[in-house]
Amino acid sequence: MEADLQAFVAFYLTGKKQPDQLHEIGDLNLRPSLFSGYRDLTRLRYDFPLVLVEYPDEGRFVETLSGLIDGILNKVAIGPNGERIRKNVLNLEESIRVRINNGATGLFSKLWDQAAPALAKQDKQMADSLSRARANLKIDGEVVDCTEELTFRLFGHAWSLTQKRRAEKFNENIDRLILKLSDIIQADFINSDAGKSAENLKHSFGSGPLDSFNFEAMSNILKKVSSKKKLAKSRRHRILGLISTLRSQRFFPTESSKVGTATAPYSFAYTTCSGALKAYRDRLPKAIELSRTMAIAELEIKGEYSESRHDALFESFGENGLDAEELAVFPDYLVRLNATTLSGPEQSTLTEILSADLPIKILVQTDDVIEESLIGNNHLAFALRSKQLATMAIGMNGVFVLQSPASYLYQLRQQILRGLDYAGTALFSVYSGASANTASVPPYLVGAAALESRVFPAFSFDPSAGRDWASRFSLAFNTQVENDWPVREIVYQDERYQTVAQATPFTLIDFVTLDTRYCKHFARVPRACWGDALTPVAQTLASEGRGQIETVPYLTMVDSDNLLHRVIVDEKLIREARRCRVMWNSLQELGGIHNSHAEKLLAREKRAWEDTMRSTVVETPAKAAPAVVSSAAVSVVEQEAERSSDEAYIETPRCSTCNECIQLNKKMFAYDGNKQAYIADITAGSFAQLVEAAENCQVSIIHPGKPRDPNEPGLDELLKRAEAFM
Amino acid sequence: MTCSSTSTDCLLELYEEKLELEDYQSGVPRWCTGCGDNAILTAIQRLCRDENLRPEKTVFVSGIGCSSRFPHYMKTYGFHGIHGRALPVAEGVRLARPDLTVFVNTGDGDCCSIGAAHWIHAIRYNMNLTVFLHDNQIYGLTKKQASPTSPIGTKSNTTPRGSYLEALNPLTVTLGIANASFVAQAVDWIPESLYDIVKAAHHHKGLSFVRILQRCPEWLPKLHESDMQEPDSVQLLHHENSLQISPSLARIYKNQLRHDPLDMNRAREIASSTDVVPVGILYQNRDIPCYEDIRKLDILRTNETVRKGFEAELDKYAV
Ligand SMILES: Cc1ncc(C[n+]2csc(CCOP(=O)(O)OP(=O)(O)O)c2C)c(N)n1
Ligand code: SF4
Ligand code: SF4
Ligand SMILES: [Mg+2]
Repeated sequence: MEADLQAFVAFYLTGKKQPDQLHEIGDLNLRPSLFSGYRDLTRLRYDFPLVLVEYPDEGRFVETLSGLIDGILNKVAIGPNGERIRKNVLNLEESIRVRINNGATGLFSKLWDQAAPALAKQDKQMADSLSRARANLKIDGEVVDCTEELTFRLFGHAWSLTQKRRAEKFNENIDRLILKLSDIIQADFINSDAGKSAENLKHSFGSGPLDSFNFEAMSNILKKVSSKKKLAKSRRHRILGLISTLRSQRFFPTESSKVGTATAPYSFAYTTCSGALKAYRDRLPKAIELSRTMAIAELEIKGEYSESRHDALFESFGENGLDAEELAVFPDYLVRLNATTLSGPEQSTLTEILSADLPIKILVQTDDVIEESLIGNNHLAFALRSKQLATMAIGMNGVFVLQSPASYLYQLRQQILRGLDYAGTALFSVYSGASANTASVPPYLVGAAALESRVFPAFSFDPSAGRDWASRFSLAFNTQVENDWPVREIVYQDERYQTVAQATPFTLIDFVTLDTRYCKHFARVPRACWGDALTPVAQTLASEGRGQIETVPYLTMVDSDNLLHRVIVDEKLIREARRCRVMWNSLQELGGIHNSHAEKLLAREKRAWEDTMRSTVVETPAKAAPAVVSSAAVSVVEQEAERSSDEAYIETPRCSTCNECIQLNKKMFAYDGNKQAYIADITAGSFAQLVEAAENCQVSIIHPGKPRDPNEPGLDELLKRAEAFM
Repeated sequence: MTCSSTSTDCLLELYEEKLELEDYQSGVPRWCTGCGDNAILTAIQRLCRDENLRPEKTVFVSGIGCSSRFPHYMKTYGFHGIHGRALPVAEGVRLARPDLTVFVNTGDGDCCSIGAAHWIHAIRYNMNLTVFLHDNQIYGLTKKQASPTSPIGTKSNTTPRGSYLEALNPLTVTLGIANASFVAQAVDWIPESLYDIVKAAHHHKGLSFVRILQRCPEWLPKLHESDMQEPDSVQLLHHENSLQISPSLARIYKNQLRHDPLDMNRAREIASSTDVVPVGILYQNRDIPCYEDIRKLDILRTNETVRKGFEAELDKYAV
């Protein structure tokens, strides 16, 4: 025993393993025990893969594969064949999952059509189920799984939909302006001598009996009569200029803009911050010009443009750039980059963008959240650079910030849209979970583990949501947000096949086990040496300081057969876990959880309150003890709102599921989720049936109320029978 | 030695994690309309749903009788056994598969008549089982013969002039057996308290014995009529260490009794009441050990050891 402890402590302090006593963890392919149920993800129905919906309804730009299939099942898996159809379609879903896992890509409908024939061939009923379901596949789009590419594609998709919406609105506005301005020019022409020429009049006559009309005479008359003022030259010039500027804008694609030509629309998607910033700067004069043009055009259309007043005003338009409202009509820039490319200059451009409040949305994907410290030389301190990026951006105050692992993005889809629509800069920091160091575990699980272990918590900061932290900052996406670490129960069978449940926190240390670079910080303890020398990691983490080392912290892990193993960890990791917890705690404070200021205030108020209470208790004489309560005493009886006796109802919680009323009229009476009866449709039956049900109900809980149809035959007698159930 | 772990529900945003009542329902019960077994089925299905019992980890064992058809209506594992032998079968399942949650549904004929010997020993062994005695005080399935719990004077096919013997009281009998650790009584017509009792029984470690007064409108339609019409004839047991009565229930059932479930003498008194129907937990003692814990085997029961054991037995007969 002593010998064991010595070997363990030596490992704990120095990381050195005695080969006969401690084993490597790599050889058994161990995983955190919480992963035991998730060997083969294709067999589980969860929120991945995703479908990037092609023509989404309001905000639903992404759906889950299972969600779409459930939607189809809700329509087709009904009636006597419902159960069969459900099973068959779920088989197909699994087969699609397997295909995607093996690398298949494409539209949901395409993957369906590829997977279905193989299943349908085997059995006729399957073919029937699948074809019925296929006819209801109405929502389609590219399928993406939680891979390295997910984040770029998901954001690209959401962003392009946002841009499309803006383009529609913008083009509508531009078309309207061009039309109205052209009308002014056209009206002036009609008024001119050229417009009134016989030739032009004939032209505008259209088809018809041209010969029977004397256009010359008409022209002469018109020229004499009208004397409307001509359009001033300068105004005409201005309006033509406006039209030409509006027509040649390149911010949004129009029907005539062609890619690859000089009038091609600008691109707004970038892979570097510097690229986006340069484009923004280069195009700013154009944007200002277009913005000014639109403002002048509005005035012209209303006939309110006055040269003496407005010329000077518009001369200086945009000297200080454009304000948020003016910018809001233009497309936003999207920068999608990988954290590895955030080198010195690029990093400072990023900071510049964030601090300048430019309409640029930046997505930074990180593939490694526990990179080795740059200090090197066995110095273990995870460089949590990517994590700091988001917190730094929050510090800028005007930036929309969202941090999340890729695996959780679907849950945050509404926040993603808010960020993309935000008028200003947005930073999205996403951890992909896909890296060579964690290759043996699917990125989905790695991401989920990063979230769960507080290594990469999810949060959002939305400056448009209000002025205080409580409205702007949310940490609520994390599990058990009140705790330092989420605590889950692992349930296992011991040597005697007895079920044992053990509360186990999931910490940074569990997350680190997934990464092959850090194997050396773990050592597997053979079963024979499990003893008092080991304490669960959670206990070690909870106790601060070091003191005498009497036990060494261990972690429970599972091998590929889901057998439990104990793995001890070294002190460096314990230190890192504590550091991670400190960071989480400060996030918690921002999120108003265990806020230290608030807690201090609360303690002070509580003390004051207790003091006052003590002094009042002394003053008032003790009340007489309540009389001995009879054995039939009960807790407080709440009063139920009185029901009108006119209305028919069932005291549902008292229903004993005896089927009497249901058998009498299945439409009128139905069971709720607890299989207890209620009146589902009072119009589906007669008063006579209500009375009969009340009489049949053995627990007498059906109350027929008053008849709804005064002409129902035999009412007098029925009312008499119903009296007993009022 | 190593341990094998079962799955946990976390990390993934799983679909269909939660089962609904219908997910535990299998087939359409063949019981008569108005039969109290329907209410018991609903209460147990609610328990399964609320406790998220995995169907593949749950088994219902029964004997023979109307009530013993129960396993057919649960979409879990089930064992519709032979008459009177629900308990020994359940004990076997418990020993071989301690990872399963085992329920037993048995009738008054099944348990108190032909199965009486097994009943007594099962109580004494106190294995971790939840036992529901569907006591309709008659043999239902075989069309009305007096059972040991039929009230004296019950006219039936075997006792056309009325039964001659005082009824056996399953509660006092159970409380008289060594190692009884959980004894409760429920009635099928108060769904809320039925559910609470079923749940407490499931949570108890050891054999929980719940006698449920179950109506058989087919053969004894009048038996509980007066109890149902007069709420005060039901006496609800409550205690801070036991069940509490909800305000809505208290409004209807005003006859209540505070009873400490560790007080065996009082429990026996209450069990013998003839003027009221006590409903609640009569006795619960969490310290009585389970047989399977006392007889811990240190050999791991793998397929391999089972096969070896079998072969050793068979070898004895080899020529
Ligand atoms: C060994 C054996 N003996 C007799 C029977 C006939 N039998 C079938 S059910 C039954 C009585 C069932 O009564 P109970 O257990 O109270 O169930 P209930 O139908 O009332 O729910 C009997 C005697 C049998 N099936 N097997
Ligand atoms: S008759 Fe009464 S007890 Fe029976 S199902 Fe209807 S409401 Fe429930
Ligand atoms: S005979 Fe009695 S116990 Fe059997 S199903 Fe009918 S009512 Fe229920
Ligand atoms: Mg019976």
